[in-house]
Amino acid sequence: MLEVDTFTKYYGELCAVEDLSFRIEEGEFVTLLGPSGCGKSTTLHAIAGLVEPTDGRIRLRGTDVTDLPPEKRNIGMAFQSTALFPHMTVRENIAYGLKMHGYSAADVEERVEESLELVDMPDHGDHKPGELSGGQQQRVSLARSLAYEPDILLLDEPLTGLDRVLREEMRGWLNRIQREVNVTTLYVTHDQEDALSMSDKVVVLNDGQAQQIDSPERIYESPANPFVAEFVGKSTQFNGTVTHENGQAVVYNDEKRIALPDSSIDDDQSVSLYVRPEDIEVSPKPTGAENEFRGIVTDIANLGNRAELSATLEDGSTALAHTTRFPDIDVDDDIFLRFPAERVIVL
Amino acid sequence: MSVQRGGLGRVTHIIGEGLEGRIANRHLALFGLGFVGLFFVLPILLLIPESLSLGSTTPFESYRRVMNGIYVDAFVRSFLYGFVTTGVTLALAYMLSYFLAFSTERVRTAMILIIVPLWIAYIVRYFGILLFLSPAGPLADLTGFETDLLFTTPAVVIGLANVYLPFAVLPIYNSLNAIDEELVNASRVLGAGKWRTITKVIFPLSLPGLVAAGLIVFILAAGSFLGPAVLGGPKQTMIANVIAQAFLDNFNIQFASALAIVYTVLLVGLLLVFNTLFDLQEVLGNI
Repeated sequence: MLEVDTFTKYYGELCAVEDLSFRIEEGEFVTLLGPSGCGKSTTLHAIAGLVEPTDGRIRLRGTDVTDLPPEKRNIGMAFQSTALFPHMTVRENIAYGLKMHGYSAADVEERVEESLELVDMPDHGDHKPGELSGGQQQRVSLARSLAYEPDILLLDEPLTGLDRVLREEMRGWLNRIQREVNVTTLYVTHDQEDALSMSDKVVVLNDGQAQQIDSPERIYESPANPFVAEFVGKSTQFNGTVTHENGQAVVYNDEKRIALPDSSIDDDQSVSLYVRPEDIEVSPKPTGAENEFRGIVTDIANLGNRAELSATLEDGSTALAHTTRFPDIDVDDDIFLRFPAERVIVL
Repeated sequence: MSVQRGGLGRVTHIIGEGLEGRIANRHLALFGLGFVGLFFVLPILLLIPESLSLGSTTPFESYRRVMNGIYVDAFVRSFLYGFVTTGVTLALAYMLSYFLAFSTERVRTAMILIIVPLWIAYIVRYFGILLFLSPAGPLADLTGFETDLLFTTPAVVIGLANVYLPFAVLPIYNSLNAIDEELVNASRVLGAGKWRTITKVIFPLSLPGLVAAGLIVFILAAGSFLGPAVLGGPKQTMIANVIAQAFLDNFNIQFASALAIVYTVLLVGLLLVFNTLFDLQEVLGNI
């Protein structure tokens, strides 16, 4: 469907994206995830034709569109700023793309109404964008980009400016619309929750290079490298060198022994270990299980349905664990944290 | 920093202390309003009694004379030159501003080239154009044939457009520059080519700047005095020249006042018509 083939973009000497390749299949929802300045927006703009690649090709439905201007690509795009035309009404904004795509006056009118229905705003057609809330503007922007049935929908951080509650609501809503219209979608965000909760596939970008292209589950559970492990989700980190004891691969971290899930790993390899907070169990007394550490509670943050507990381990490092909503533990308590060997991510 | 306050600092401090709490923003506004009232509104109002021959049997004698053919011509010419100059200036200024707003290169240099002429006295600039257009001037040298432009209407319009161009570029550039680049991107992605993006998105959004520029240039151009005096002939006399002549050469203060009042009334009337067409308050409120 969409194929980005060894896309490279330099701004003068500065490299924005280096040798990036990925594919999107028909109907898929794919997310480009990365910190600001990672090149995700440049990639999206290049797909839309708004940025000229230094090297590489972009193919849409088997056609090489690299040299086509944006207006010849049949792409839908929702911008972070919404980019609604302030001098036109909502209805005129949606009609704009339809007119430019050569729809007849009758079709334009019909499709504008359908689009307004689709985004649950049938009564807002005559408003100017400035009279709408941020969420409503974003919905109009989406309606405008979908009205003329584009081959692919590009979303450039559309939820970034919205508050948390609205953001979560919009996520579910966006997913529903995407399924309803069944449009292939490429979503750009720096927000891992957006990426993990909505996508079929996630492309993690950093410094202009793809770090991992995988399903959200695999991105979270089997990150390909330390960057992905640290950027996506929280974790407790240990470093050390691999040795083997009785056929079991272990790492010694400040006298503490950490058993690893996989014994096939070579001796003397320097590794980073990551444990997700939901994989760490906490108790006031030691249980004698493997991978158990002693720590002092420094903070308990109530997250609503659960609590996130921070503790300082004996080596001075910080560990994160999820507990029940109101754990029978206080700040400055001595606690024991443990995690099963098979839940350790080794990189 | 020393705590001790020396001479001048001490004085301003004492004045500041004295004024503290006694002066509000509206007091500051009074200075500006007072200045305008004293040196603009009052003199204009004084023209009214000056223009009438009070006590005589024909108090509106001067106004009757204003209806005379040559004066009507001067009025018509002033507004006509105003319109033509505005049209030419806006067209040039729009293209220039578009380049400045959407090109990434050499904007500073171009901006300096536009601003610097503002520092040079009008009279110098008009004489520059006079020399340039004169039959033995550089234009004749350059093109090889002698132009008859000097002391014609085109010469006056060239001169006025040249002098007023910066006043048009600044507001137009401002409004073009304020257009979010994402709007242009959105238009392209939605299927509009470059030209349609200009006509449907960029031009409508730059209208406030264009209207502001048009107003400024028109008011300045219609009331021009130096331009037609230096670059025009007897057939290019504009109303400001006529008023000046009546006032300074013929010492006919009554007639000069009548001309000035008629001109002011016509100009305000024209602006009111313009206002109903464009809703100035709304358009200019968006700058």
